[in-house]
Amino acid sequence: MNAEQLARIDELLGRVDRPARYIGGEMNTQIKPWEEGRASFAFCFPDTYEVAMSHLGMKILYYIINKEPDMLCERVFMPWVDMADALRQEGIPLFSLESRRELRDFDILGFTLQYEMSYTNILEMLSLGQIPLLAGERGEEMPIVIAGGPCAFNPEPLVDFIDCFAIGDGERLSVEITRLVGQLRREGLKRAEILWRLSQLEGCYVPRYYQAKYDERGILTSFEPTREGVPVRVRKRLELDLEALDFPEEIPVPYTQVVHDRIALEIMRGCTRGCRFCQAGMLYRPVRERSPERLLELAEKLIKATGYEEVSLSSLSSGDYGQLAELIRALMDRFASQRVAVSLPSMRIDSLVRQSLEETRAVRKSGLTLAPEAGTQRLRDVINKGVTEEDLLRSVTDAFESGWSSVKLYFMIGLPTETDEDVLGIARTARKVLDAYYAVPKERRAPGLRVTVSASTFVPKPFTPFQWAAQDSLDEIKRKQALLRDALRVKGLSFNWHEPELSRLEACVARGDRRLGAVILAAWQRGCRLDGWREHFKYDAWLEAFAACNLDPDFYAARPRGEQELLPWAFIDAGVTQRYLWLENERASQGIVTPDCRHGCEGCGLTRFPGACIA
Amino acid sequence: MKMLVVFSIRDRLKYIGHLDLMRAMQRALRRSGLPLRYSQGFNPHILLGFAAPLSVGSQGLREIMEVPLSAPCSPEDFLSALNAALPPLLQCVSAREVPDDYPAPMSRLAAASYLIRPLEHQEALLAALPGFLTQPSIVLPKKTKRGLQDSDIRPMIHRLEARDGQIDALLQQSPSGTCKPALLIAGLARYLDIPAPRCEIVRTGLYDAGLKPLEEA
Repeated sequence: MNAEQLARIDELLGRVDRPARYIGGEMNTQIKPWEEGRASFAFCFPDTYEVAMSHLGMKILYYIINKEPDMLCERVFMPWVDMADALRQEGIPLFSLESRRELRDFDILGFTLQYEMSYTNILEMLSLGQIPLLAGERGEEMPIVIAGGPCAFNPEPLVDFIDCFAIGDGERLSVEITRLVGQLRREGLKRAEILWRLSQLEGCYVPRYYQAKYDERGILTSFEPTREGVPVRVRKRLELDLEALDFPEEIPVPYTQVVHDRIALEIMRGCTRGCRFCQAGMLYRPVRERSPERLLELAEKLIKATGYEEVSLSSLSSGDYGQLAELIRALMDRFASQRVAVSLPSMRIDSLVRQSLEETRAVRKSGLTLAPEAGTQRLRDVINKGVTEEDLLRSVTDAFESGWSSVKLYFMIGLPTETDEDVLGIARTARKVLDAYYAVPKERRAPGLRVTVSASTFVPKPFTPFQWAAQDSLDEIKRKQALLRDALRVKGLSFNWHEPELSRLEACVARGDRRLGAVILAAWQRGCRLDGWREHFKYDAWLEAFAACNLDPDFYAARPRGEQELLPWAFIDAGVTQRYLWLENERASQGIVTPDCRHGCEGCGLTRFPGACIA
Repeated sequence: MKMLVVFSIRDRLKYIGHLDLMRAMQRALRRSGLPLRYSQGFNPHILLGFAAPLSVGSQGLREIMEVPLSAPCSPEDFLSALNAALPPLLQCVSAREVPDDYPAPMSRLAAASYLIRPLEHQEALLAALPGFLTQPSIVLPKKTKRGLQDSDIRPMIHRLEARDGQIDALLQQSPSGTCKPALLIAGLARYLDIPAPRCEIVRTGLYDAGLKPLEEA
């Protein structure tokens, strides 16, 4: 990036939408000096500024890497289409927010894989950074491209493009990778040597050392190392002591509006409920908590460093945190005078305590979100979401009596064994929620009832008991959406639904194998990017991409897998065993509920990791 | 008491909008630990008033805001606490105590001065300034809440001179009429029959009806 290009950036900013996305300079960011002996890490979030700056993982790694004296971290996010096109037109490479350096200047590019439909953005960013898209074509001077995050647990669709995957908890692994790569590059080691050394770190998966073979139907028949010395099974990196893990004491504060603009405190990692559709609940096991004392200390420092007015308690199921009520009370006691509100984004209905509601309502009254996920008890038992209608109605009644009038209910359609009666059960449940509101005396309830039913399309995910399931066809989903829409035409109810075409592609990529890389590339070449944004989603281009690669989306999305089939991600040890997942799958088809494993070990396999989960 | 504060927005930060600026300033004030005052009601917010919003893309050298305080504080302490909590490109220049009943800066604002550097047709534009001013009226369509409306900007131009390759302008800015630099440039472009050139705009000061700097009056 020369001086002329830098000057042109400023001129470009005057022409694009929301230029504040590209200027950096936010509070708690800094240009850490680039020095000899300091490894450089570009944190690449493959979505726009507004999404990236809401992501807790980015803030954690940004802080942790920058804290180390021998490395630095700068942020690179996906530009909007106007900026991306302008950069290409002007011949200006994609640049980091802090020092406006181009991607090629960095030792490592680290992409976070949060959402399958962000993968074309990865290609777009590499392309804008003038980095060869194919890992095999990158020369010695190119950065090492790594990727982590939940979708890295099925890395196969991206193996063409990523040099090394970082699987599992990233706090220490990212630092180890960065230190190693920095050191080895300075010593002049060749790329192949560096990748070999990375493959030796626990949690690292370097795809070039493995080979996949398929039969004539396209089903995976073998997946093996091509070289001795790499693990046959790649074990995820697990950090057992969450309390001891670093957590940011300051975070970047955006100028412009972003999706989540507040302090997020990770109170707990992992989940014991075992909902059968939920990938995160399986991947992040075992449950590990941070102590209330530590959280208070973090809250104090973060409030001081940011000036934020809201602290959100973040985890997969905050209601299950051991000392939730005490924590909320302690936070309110300490910070209410500073007018800091406490919020709980994810609450399990059955643990929603009235007291928590009271506490959090005191300063902030945003809408309440609950996730029954299925419309009948039968189906809830199948998916192991052990929530009863009684729990739900009690929670909403408590909420309505406490002054909430806006409730959002999350459901899925297309779940395994689902019938029309289950779909209509969603509407019946929603109507009962309305009734619960009207049952509260007028003087006690807040006006302006708004019940939103949001029904997304079920996508089978790897490392869940439903990873063998077929996704409903497009026609089926559309038919069910129409059925539900009609049943929800009631005053006070509104219905949000998700584009089934997007969900179908998500299902393809989520359970994709190595051959899908060619499809993703073909889709990008046909102009696909920012797929998660309605106005840019090009379903037809994706279908053409599949056809051009002689692959059928139904093979990935709509085909039920057999128990014996070798799954592309099974070589990864995520803790939960394939055997356990299959058992859960069988229990699902019989409608048998598996209790929360806090009450007794269910044998999911985590106990094989030393120190994890005392059975 | 209130603090009448002069601050500047420079370089990259010129791209943040007014609401973003308000939010950033509120957060900085919270970080500063200064004794702030909050509004009443369900959603209390920090009391903070700006003289006038700055258009996205313009830098501001002497922007003005007032910050009501709930306890006494010297201007020096105020500045050092707030500047420590602000990013380098958004810093306070000076502060002055005023009583609570002192009229809000927004209510006293009458004019704003700008330095405008055209990035195209620079010489032609600068040379045209005297002739431009000889027009008795300059009517241009202006975007308002009620759609496009004709506005005569001639009486709103208090000063228009060339200075070091830039246009130095003092323009009316008040409830009874505002001429933004973009409108002035549109007028100059029409006068020269050229497309409106891209410009770098810096607001250099804010003034009251007597054309005295707002922070001094």
